[in-house]
Amino acid sequence: MARSNEVNLNECKMVVPLNTWVLISNFKLAYNLLRRPDGTFNRHLAEFLDRKVPANATPVDGVFSFDVLIDRGTSLLTRIYRPVTAEEPLPDVAELEKPVTAEVVPVIIFFHGGSFAHSSANSAIYDTLCRRLVGLCKAVVVSVNYRRAPENRYPCAYDDGWTALKWVNSRPWLQSRKDSKVHIYLAGDSSGGNIVHHVALRAIESGIDVLGNILLNPMFGGEERTESEHNLDGKYFVTLRDRDWYWRAYLPEGEDRDHHACNPFGPNGRSVEGIKFPKSLVVVAGLDLIQDWQLAYVEGLKKAGQEVKLLYMEQATIGFYLLPNNNHFHAVMDEISRFVGSDC
Amino acid sequence: MKRDHNHLQPNPDPSSSLCGGSSTGKARLWEEEAAQQDCGMDELLAVLGYKVKTSDMAEVAQKLEQLEEVMCNVQDDGISHLASETVHYNPSDLSTYLESMLSELVPPAFDPFGAAGTTAAAAATGTLVDSFLPPAESSTLTTLDFENNNRKQIFDEASCSDYDLKAIPGKAIYDSLSSSTHGNVKSEKRLKPTSESPPDIFPPPPPASSFGIPTDSIRPVILVDSQENGIRLVHALMACAEAVQQNNLNLAEALVKQIGFLAISQAGAMRKVATYFAEALARRIYRLYPKNPLDHSLSDVLHMHFYETCPYLKFAHFTANQAILEAFEGKERVHVIDFSMNQGMQWPALMQALALRPGGPPAFRLTGIGPPSHDNSDHLQEVGWKLAQLAETIHVEFEYRGFVANSLADLDASMLDLRPSEVEAVAVNSVFELHKLLARPGAIDKVFSVVKQMKPEIVTVVEQEANHNGPVFLDRFTESLHYYSTLFDSLEGSVSSQDKVMSEVYLGKQICNVVACEGADRTERHESLTQWRNRLDSAGFSPVHLGSNAFKQAGMLLALFAGGDGYGVEENNGCLMLGWHNRPLITTSAWKPANDTTASASATSTVTH
Repeated sequence: MARSNEVNLNECKMVVPLNTWVLISNFKLAYNLLRRPDGTFNRHLAEFLDRKVPANATPVDGVFSFDVLIDRGTSLLTRIYRPVTAEEPLPDVAELEKPVTAEVVPVIIFFHGGSFAHSSANSAIYDTLCRRLVGLCKAVVVSVNYRRAPENRYPCAYDDGWTALKWVNSRPWLQSRKDSKVHIYLAGDSSGGNIVHHVALRAIESGIDVLGNILLNPMFGGEERTESEHNLDGKYFVTLRDRDWYWRAYLPEGEDRDHHACNPFGPNGRSVEGIKFPKSLVVVAGLDLIQDWQLAYVEGLKKAGQEVKLLYMEQATIGFYLLPNNNHFHAVMDEISRFVGSDC
Repeated sequence: MKRDHNHLQPNPDPSSSLCGGSSTGKARLWEEEAAQQDCGMDELLAVLGYKVKTSDMAEVAQKLEQLEEVMCNVQDDGISHLASETVHYNPSDLSTYLESMLSELVPPAFDPFGAAGTTAAAAATGTLVDSFLPPAESSTLTTLDFENNNRKQIFDEASCSDYDLKAIPGKAIYDSLSSSTHGNVKSEKRLKPTSESPPDIFPPPPPASSFGIPTDSIRPVILVDSQENGIRLVHALMACAEAVQQNNLNLAEALVKQIGFLAISQAGAMRKVATYFAEALARRIYRLYPKNPLDHSLSDVLHMHFYETCPYLKFAHFTANQAILEAFEGKERVHVIDFSMNQGMQWPALMQALALRPGGPPAFRLTGIGPPSHDNSDHLQEVGWKLAQLAETIHVEFEYRGFVANSLADLDASMLDLRPSEVEAVAVNSVFELHKLLARPGAIDKVFSVVKQMKPEIVTVVEQEANHNGPVFLDRFTESLHYYSTLFDSLEGSVSSQDKVMSEVYLGKQICNVVACEGADRTERHESLTQWRNRLDSAGFSPVHLGSNAFKQAGMLLALFAGGDGYGVEENNGCLMLGWHNRPLITTSAWKPANDTTASASATSTVTH
């Protein structure tokens, strides 16, 4: 048993820079401690270990941020990231919600990853990622601190995403000058990617326009065991066992992985044929064991006649987008920038 | 699976020279890696909250591999032990953190006393006395079975009330107790008051300390109220403050009147905050400075209401006590020097925890320091008596001395009757007191040097997490407006409206001081953790880390509070912060004199080889 682990660890180390390996392995180690066999989660230790950063109204590298409590009942927080402008290099702390000035300002609603159980909007890894997106896309980014499993199961995360979408859509200060509308994109990684899909569905039902979906290594699954799950189980930081644990923690009790939340185009899925679904950019890491599900998602969109672009990063592992020290990172960032910029 | 390495950039050997990349993609990449090698720390990981030296990266990776391997071989109980029993410290310092995890698992430390060849640190990272919040099954404390041979029977046996350990002691302890006891409470020493400085209207700001404390420029802001009126009110307040900053007092006067009208139409926390800030601005404009210091009995009452209403003081006391308890582990005689005595509300819980220590409590000595009271009452004495009575009922040998001082800077180590550190372990405690010293040049340095002379095992510091001490008035105004808005918002959920009002008055006095006062009178000179870290570091103190057990219990404490949902605890490099909706508001940190090799290492996570 130890021997095959040795091989796995060495293989793993070959494909990512050392500091990335340290970062993700450390997460893996911590997460192993936090998941209990009985399905409960050591939330205190999780919050203790998570590295967080405060919002900062003082610009750093051209980006400032502030938190907003958008729903008191659920203590729903969002962290808003804005670029400084030429006219206003130092944001007016008295009016952080000053109207955007450009003709077209993309507003990216971001859902952080963590398999529905880990991380927060103020986790350092996600604060950093959101800041990058601001500069990259000349966008305002709204990162949603959605409720997490297992304390809050389906559909809490989607409900919070929906609340955030409505809130963003109704902010006059986020409207682009061109058409007095908020130009909304949904983006997320891992569980956040999953949330993107489901919130987009709700948007359509309610007539809110979403201009595009960005799914980074989105978390999908199903009852069936796929080839990639067999081949890659335990090889690149992730095991099938932990994937199963997180679905059991998120899905309603008694439901299996063919529930539409987990498997949107599966036996209990909802077709998106004939509806005005946003164009999608889906990034799949070639060393992610759930890639078959992610690829099936892309196929599902295509079959339904929806616009989707797949970015398959062959040698990428999970979390490659957390550190700017590899080619996949830069390639994906460029694509995202093009995807969001194409509406200007 | 084919592995194509050509387009990958494996992490270069730090000792190898860089080659210039040709394509733009590669150039970008090498740039990043070059940045990594410039300074000691890996910059990319630093941004994500992890401090790892580039030169240590391989070693850290090795530890991770070792841990992975060990965790595979250890059974599930080993992992659950690591998760629930072990105390984790300072996860940012990866190397040390992983090392302490390894020492927990290798050799398998199922022996609860950690006797089998484990280091002192490993023993310390094992189970600690979790006595503040006992598990649900524990019974209510009634009497304790102790041998009283060596304990002086000084008091008449006071009636023993039931202590419910689940309740954080507050009002319960201060039911009227008979005052017939006097006993081992030394008479107060009154220190020579420092000469009052003549009232100075807009004196120049006190000189920055000699080592140039950098002002912290991180401004964490949370907006809890997006209403239109709220925004207009904030605008008016800011405009008025700006007018004051520019010494345009006519404009300021006109604006401050406007604020009054706007505030009326506002609801809730925003209205109250605006009113306090407006009043403070008015005082500044009209030069009607509030009397300093406060009438003590009123200040006491406000303090107690604040203690009851919201978790800030309880969190402060609780986390400080946790650190003190850890530092006092294994000590037979302990001495707490409290810079923030007030009504002594911090100490019953510590004394009870000490009473429950396996092996029995140490002898407990308390020196309480506080300002003089105006009505000539011996309030420090009274507090001491009450604590003495508690000590009696829980059978803890107790000694008390109260010191009255106008300023902590008036204190000298020689006054305190310190005993040799081999005989008695010292803890120095300061809750919301140190920042006041920044109002007089040299005061904080004096106090730090006196503290070092006390040779403490631990120094616990709790301070507001904000920079209200910048040189520019407008900046201070803005910072404090956001800070107190958040604080007031957190009070809105309070159950008792009387407590809430009193707490608001309590905080309102602070607001007034920050905004209306200057020079030696402006004592609410809050500074952020980063700033305090720099000060304490420069003064020759090194951090003592608070761990996951304190974190967890603080979290559980918060859950007991109504409106608890918005409160949260955060760990920051060994310090604990209490915040409202992720905005940190107060911070507890612990310290000891640097290079103190005799001090117990048990409170830290470092494994000594």
